[in-house]
Amino acid sequence: LVIASASSDARASRTREDYRHFRAASIDLLGRMPTPAELAAFERPGFDADAWLDQHLGGAAYAQRLTRIYMDLLRLEPGVAVQFAPDPTALYRQQIMGPDGKLLHVYFRARQRRARDETDGEFCFTPEETGLHVEARQPPRPGETAIPVSKALLDKYTVVVKPWWLYRDYLQLAPSKRYKAGWDDPDPAYQPVDTLLKEPDGSATVEVRLCREEAQASETGHIYATGRVRPAPGTLPPFGRKRPLPLDTPYARDHKGESIRCQSKLGLESSIDCGCGTGLEHCLPIDSTVLGGGAFMFPNHVPLGLGAPIDDARQQAARWYPFWWSQEATHFFEYLFSGDRDFREVLTAHYSVINGPLAQFYRTIQPSNCCDKEASFGMQSEIEPLFDPKRVPIELFPHDVASWKVIDDRGDRASGLLTMPIFLEKFASGRARGAALYNAFLCKSFVADDVQLEPSTEPNLMVRPGCSTCHAALEPLAAYFARVEAGSLVYLPSPQFPVANDKCKKKADGRLPGGCENFYDPAFSDVHAGTLRGAYGSPQHADGGPALAGKDLTALPDFASCAVQRVAASFFGRPITHDDAALVQSLTEVFVSKGYRMRPLVRALMKSSAYRDANNVRSGGS
Amino acid sequence: VRALVFASALVIAGCGGPKERVAPASVGALEARGAMPQDSAPKEELRMVPPEAYLRTYLELFGGLLPLEVQARARGKDGAQLFDTWGDYFSALGFPDYRLDLPRATQTNALMVAAFERLGVALCDRAVEHDFKPGEKDKVIFAFESADDFAARFDVLHRAFLGYPAALAPTDRTKRFAELYESVVARHASPGAPKSRFSPEEAGWAAVCYGLVRHPEFHLY
Repeated sequence: LVIASASSDARASRTREDYRHFRAASIDLLGRMPTPAELAAFERPGFDADAWLDQHLGGAAYAQRLTRIYMDLLRLEPGVAVQFAPDPTALYRQQIMGPDGKLLHVYFRARQRRARDETDGEFCFTPEETGLHVEARQPPRPGETAIPVSKALLDKYTVVVKPWWLYRDYLQLAPSKRYKAGWDDPDPAYQPVDTLLKEPDGSATVEVRLCREEAQASETGHIYATGRVRPAPGTLPPFGRKRPLPLDTPYARDHKGESIRCQSKLGLESSIDCGCGTGLEHCLPIDSTVLGGGAFMFPNHVPLGLGAPIDDARQQAARWYPFWWSQEATHFFEYLFSGDRDFREVLTAHYSVINGPLAQFYRTIQPSNCCDKEASFGMQSEIEPLFDPKRVPIELFPHDVASWKVIDDRGDRASGLLTMPIFLEKFASGRARGAALYNAFLCKSFVADDVQLEPSTEPNLMVRPGCSTCHAALEPLAAYFARVEAGSLVYLPSPQFPVANDKCKKKADGRLPGGCENFYDPAFSDVHAGTLRGAYGSPQHADGGPALAGKDLTALPDFASCAVQRVAASFFGRPITHDDAALVQSLTEVFVSKGYRMRPLVRALMKSSAYRDANNVRSGGS
Repeated sequence: VRALVFASALVIAGCGGPKERVAPASVGALEARGAMPQDSAPKEELRMVPPEAYLRTYLELFGGLLPLEVQARARGKDGAQLFDTWGDYFSALGFPDYRLDLPRATQTNALMVAAFERLGVALCDRAVEHDFKPGEKDKVIFAFESADDFAARFDVLHRAFLGYPAALAPTDRTKRFAELYESVVARHASPGAPKSRFSPEEAGWAAVCYGLVRHPEFHLY
């Protein structure tokens, strides 16, 4: 800090500017204004400004201060409409009437395959058995009256389980540590909604009832095929069903009886012996039949971190994991900055920081988000995941919301922020991801040419007049993400999905063979091969994936100077202009020479006269 | 006539003569009249305290509590009369909302100033209720002895809120605030004054606190 060195009568020698400067440094490094005690220390003879600076350059507030810069740039929180509850993981809940006339809850999955034709792909009871038309993702029909289900049917089609959200020891054979009843010290931030803890009559829930198929705990199942044929047009669905009976997929027809992993979309859609796993840990409870139903309480805003929320709200179940995705990014940044690690790791690191809900997400939820259409390309479950589930520590339970652990290596495909769900979801297309990186880490923007756009049939935006100005740079950036499926976070490996795939070459009618158009782009395919969607900008980038993006972008000279500009602009509280060129250059030299570490950069920045003097236009006042 | 013709000929001859030209010539260096260094450093007004820092400072001034604890204490038995909820103030304070892609506010606006005012009043009122309790040892804002003179007591508040001694203020701030304090005390002590939960002295200090917690210097750095 450029503060007058403390003399024997320091207080008397301090100027108003010294105090202002100390206050500014406190706001930037401590995250708040100085307390009277800190001011007194500042006024004491012998106050060592450099030591003070070094002491606070490693603190939590410093790491949060830098994190804020990049969170402001990338806005890494899921939009309010974002929900994440893939069918294999969403456990909806319906209220029916039991044999004794008491209401009870039954959990079930949408599209669950069942051996009984009447309920195959539906709720495990028919409308005749319950008096209710039950449909996942639909609210209860008004005006329906529940009728008692016989005990025989209830026992035949449902079972009871002690689930993970109620029991700390749900992996044990006989769980006994129930939430706040035997499990007396749950993490205060782990708060199931009240409706998950109570039965319809208000008594405490000690176990949950669910359809028998959903309760299965096997890790592997078998491809189920019925041999059904498509009904003639106009034929009403049998058994009074609203929807026709599910048909076999081509893959199920060809692989009937084969073994499959239950943690996959195939496990739900093409098997009758795959369920939610031990303690239902592969599934997320929802307290109603709609995605908007609740599961947990958590804050809307945590501007000072998870330890100091400013609110606490009942949230939609499908926002549970997206909330933690955002926190993963925050913790990743804070780990990077508090440890003063090489800033290039922001785009290249194999490590990450996760807690219990994220461990559950990576271990069981995300694997269930793949695969169905991919199966015909030889991918029945994730082959090269962005976060290898085997790297998730077993000691992290879904309830451990405040326990954060560093995972040193997420797997070969992991690459800093670029492979985190929040980045891939927030910027949901390859182009959006490319543009975000271009702006946040290279300080460049896409500015359109002042040209008249003419109608064009040219699919290649890198050459189409008027588009090429931006897309010549954007398409190759987007190509880095061609292998990350939009919306599912699934990585498409090159052996199964080569950029140029001769199995997906154009047919005589100009279309691609069945299933290919999900992954291959007819506009860039020809009679020799289909071209992977999004890869045309740079097949090399597509094959390298996000990891190559991280490597390439951090090797550019603009990366370092952009980081310096971002940090300097934030600390000065104003945009960096050409007038700052000399300062930016000298700070960039410091940054690069010190191994791209932020602490030397911030130290140099805060000791510069520019920091002290930049915001020195006086305001008056009384 | 002959003279007229001669004169006209002279005029015509003059008009048709060669044009006058200004040839470029060196004028030498201009004489220096004085030297003035040009300061090319970009200059800006003081920037707004980030809302995170404002919130942390507010919590610190309240005694180092968590946001929800402060919310409960600030609301007290008055419900939302004095303090709504942090969620209600979130946008007004300038926090970015990443979920909605709303950037952080870097300049004040009417809503923000109103939020600062309401939060400031809540802080000061609760601090008066707490700190002026007889025998209170753990004072959070009004950490002075009643025997001190006004300037000494005001300096405690000035340092707590604005971060430097009142004596270094650019104006005669201590005198102005003393006048404010005295006028409020007098008004509250006068016959027929509206009923207040504060004594005249407490009301006077609350008014001083309002003035400092809303001061531009508190919100800028």
